[in-house]
Amino acid sequence: MNFAIEDSPEQSAFRAEVREFLARNLPANLEHSVDPCDMSYEQYQLRRDFGRSLGAQGWLYPSMPKEYGGGDLSAEKVAILYDELSRIGLALPPYYDAGGRMSAPTILVWGTPEHKERFLPPICRGEVRTWQLLTEPSAGSDLAGIKTTAIRDGDVYVVNGQKMFVGSSHGADYSWTIVVTDPKGERHKNLSWLMIPMDLPGITVQPMDLLATGGEGGSGSGVKNAVFFDNVRVPADHLIGGENNGWRVATTHLEVEHGGTGRLSDRRVIYEFIELCRERHDGHAIADDPAARAELVELYIDAEITRLFALRNHWLAHTGQPRSYEGAQYSLRRKLSGLDISEKMLRIAGPCVLTHDKRWGPLKGTIEYFQRDAITALHPGATTDIQRVVIARRIGIGGREREKAGALK
Amino acid sequence: MDLSLNDTQQLIQDSARDFVRGACDRDALLKLDRNPAGMMDGIWRQMSELGWTGMAIPEGYGGTGNSMTDVAVLFEELGTGPVPGPLFSSAVLCARILLEAANESTKRAWLPKIASGDRVFALALTEAQYGWSADSVRLKAKKDGKDFLLTGTKVFVYDALYASDFLVAARIDGVADVSLFRVDAKAAGVAVRTLDGFLTGLCEVTLEGVRAAGADQIGEPGAAWKALERATLAVVPVLCAYKVGGCRMVFDMSVNYARERTQFGQIIGRFQRVQDHIIHIVNYLDAARWTTYEALWKLDSGADAAASTHVAKSVASESYMRACDFAHEVHAGIGVVREYGLTLHTKMSRSLYHCLGAPKVHRKRLESVLELVPG
Repeated sequence: MNFAIEDSPEQSAFRAEVREFLARNLPANLEHSVDPCDMSYEQYQLRRDFGRSLGAQGWLYPSMPKEYGGGDLSAEKVAILYDELSRIGLALPPYYDAGGRMSAPTILVWGTPEHKERFLPPICRGEVRTWQLLTEPSAGSDLAGIKTTAIRDGDVYVVNGQKMFVGSSHGADYSWTIVVTDPKGERHKNLSWLMIPMDLPGITVQPMDLLATGGEGGSGSGVKNAVFFDNVRVPADHLIGGENNGWRVATTHLEVEHGGTGRLSDRRVIYEFIELCRERHDGHAIADDPAARAELVELYIDAEITRLFALRNHWLAHTGQPRSYEGAQYSLRRKLSGLDISEKMLRIAGPCVLTHDKRWGPLKGTIEYFQRDAITALHPGATTDIQRVVIARRIGIGGREREKAGALK
Repeated sequence: MDLSLNDTQQLIQDSARDFVRGACDRDALLKLDRNPAGMMDGIWRQMSELGWTGMAIPEGYGGTGNSMTDVAVLFEELGTGPVPGPLFSSAVLCARILLEAANESTKRAWLPKIASGDRVFALALTEAQYGWSADSVRLKAKKDGKDFLLTGTKVFVYDALYASDFLVAARIDGVADVSLFRVDAKAAGVAVRTLDGFLTGLCEVTLEGVRAAGADQIGEPGAAWKALERATLAVVPVLCAYKVGGCRMVFDMSVNYARERTQFGQIIGRFQRVQDHIIHIVNYLDAARWTTYEALWKLDSGADAAASTHVAKSVASESYMRACDFAHEVHAGIGVVREYGLTLHTKMSRSLYHCLGAPKVHRKRLESVLELVPG
């Protein structure tokens, strides 16, 4: 067994290669806003440019096959790439591309050869940005209860309905969208996935005012939106995974979204907070207080378990091991421990954790954002209740057959 | 034994409920949240006219001398909003501090003005080395003839934005222990800045050589801390009642949502996992409520309320925060939409967590009250 990310000369050489690449390609004027809602259009474009240079190397989607613009990289190399990017405050992709992150592995499993040829390379090369559209006003936890319809009319599907809590600031090229293709059909046998070009007539995007917007992992989205479809005519060959087969396709999508692939660059803020408590100001450090130290130790232990669950999932996914409840377990843990840690921070450091004031807000407001984000993160990608249901089913308790994890290639 | 409210308290409750449903309904509170300065335009005047600014002040000083339980009943209703603003800071906390610490002429000068709502007091105590203990107070008061010159920064001061006057805890040159000053918020050298973020009503107050007349020094030099401690201990249960109100509202919101929202073809309240969240909330609510009201009863009946007060503050602060957490579990997405109103409570539960000492401060003091500390 070996938990170290770098252990072979080959991997050290890869890390050097990544660093050299970053030195050459990282935009000089990259600014990091604590709240992704504050990221300007110019900063977004810088990240897209950088994404395209990563994509040209196959490093934007490093686990995807080379033939579709990925890098075919091993688990260890992907981990190195994540690690190096997280050191400079970036995730992979370096901008919000949840639709790409979820759809690419899903299309790989469920798409036709034509779909793969057509949709995967632009995602993997960073030519397009894609949102994921699942949640609706009446369908949150109950994804199969969506109402947005896509009715076949010759060589198009006509889409009508509303999605909410979706997308990001600064728009998207495509939306990876689950729809009802058979309104009279049996539950779970009436759904399909469409890759909808966002420049089609009839699409309206309306920003929502939320406490915070994070939670799906990867790069922060900025604003979340309500998206309205009014007789939007989507070419029929944009339907992926077969008409009315959408529930089965969704199992792959949800496997990725629920953390089945693991995320390695998470939660740097926790370790930075511990660092902050050790800092001495006017002869005083937060960690001088024995009660604060005891809570900091708990916080550290909590964060370590979460980190290791993510590491395990990453290893499982990138070495093709069988998985069952692990994705949901990580997701549940991340949500609950995130909230608990945010409250420990409030107890330990006092009300300063609630402000992003230039003088009084620690870590340039990162901690204040974490306080809001920890609450918001309870629901995206399924609530804690749904994660518990998935774990129970996959363990096989309650007289059920063990449910299998969603297929990943 | 009788744990019910008396007639006066029911009347207070009714008028406070009408107020929260009327002038301070959700839309008004959301507006206030975006523009806190708007508070003084109308809501404060209405509160004064209803006599709320004088409830905790004795009749001899222009108030109505209500019991602490009466006052708490009002604050429980305001907590359901949650209605922000300086009513607690001014008419309960600072009024009590003046009653405990000030001489007769100072009381006569300021308490009637607080009772009428004409003056709004806020306590400026906490500083950069955050804490609610005497050693956290570092702000300097330098003697200058008969006056004092105050210099230093107070931070995380509640309701400073609305204050006409501050009670400032400071250290006089050469005097051990803490002294207290009244400082006019408009005096030269006073700067107030609202802190932005996931908080309500917290400010930075900077004093740069602010002149305070000798008469504005409250009580004997270096003798303020004991009075401050007595005063805060006596009003903590009222603050707890506000949090009880907050718990009550997030409980009601969660129950209603669980009854209305359908998923998987049924109301979500039928799912045991959702029920479990709401059971947590009701347990937090009742723990906060009964620890708070017993402490109030002890205060009003002259019994030793120290242990109960420390218990109530530990429980109520934690309960309000956790009740909000579970309410978010019940509501999922809609709960973080600001216009829905739940996040006003979430934010308030965090903002008030440390007010007058976080649970860990009160637990520590409970150790002493329970004689657990050796020696």
